[in-house]
Amino acid sequence: MKRWRTKREHQIYSSKLFQALCRSRRTSSSTSAKELHQTADRVLAITAKGTTRWSRAILAAPLTAGTNMKKHKKAKVTVHTRLRKPVVNREKKKLPVVERKLKALRRLVPGCRKLSCNNLLEETSDYIAALEMQVRAMTAITEFRARGEAQAPTDRLGSIGNM
Amino acid sequence: MSSQRSTSSNKITDDELNALILRLQTLLPQLDQSRHGRVSAAKVLNEICSYIRRLQKEVDGLSGRLSQCLDSMDLTGFDAEI
Repeated sequence: MKRWRTKREHQIYSSKLFQALCRSRRTSSSTSAKELHQTADRVLAITAKGTTRWSRAILAAPLTAGTNMKKHKKAKVTVHTRLRKPVVNREKKKLPVVERKLKALRRLVPGCRKLSCNNLLEETSDYIAALEMQVRAMTAITEFRARGEAQAPTDRLGSIGNM
Repeated sequence: MSSQRSTSSNKITDDELNALILRLQTLLPQLDQSRHGRVSAAKVLNEICSYIRRLQKEVDGLSGRLSQCLDSMDLTGFDAEI
């Protein structure tokens, strides 16, 4: 978890993301925000080097252009209906709340829907740290681009790339 | 409140849960223990979920801005900045 805070990790992620964006720009004329987000997530997962479940899940997921088509193995609706039944015992109300929150958390962190509570919380802390780094890195790149717009591009080293 | 010592993966003892919740609490800047003392597990989990959603939304916004920048700008010279 601590590794996401290091400058080195930040640099590795930034340069990998940059390379991935260059590559995608060569293949298609424009990148949608969704595709870019997907690329950023995949690079983040690669940077994790397969040590966490969420990163493996991101890399295993198919690339989607539009809406996500998920295969439902069992009807989820029945489970929710059962939970909605009013609970008579007041004491029992406490436990379902925590379990409900854990369930919501499971849906947010990739690949953790059936994970035990222990491992889920481990994955969550790593995922949050990684997301924070992702935000820092992407903010830096975006601000760099914004600065670049103010200056003339010819100031830069090397030749301007082909359009 | 009964604490269950079960080997089932979904059940967790109260002590274990509290220990893990405390760890998660340190991740959340707004729920720093020194200011708020003990916070309920449900509240911590709530904040965790909101925080993750917020981070994902932020990445979404950044992706949008970056994709607009990419379309108009050239990408040389970035390595010098890193």
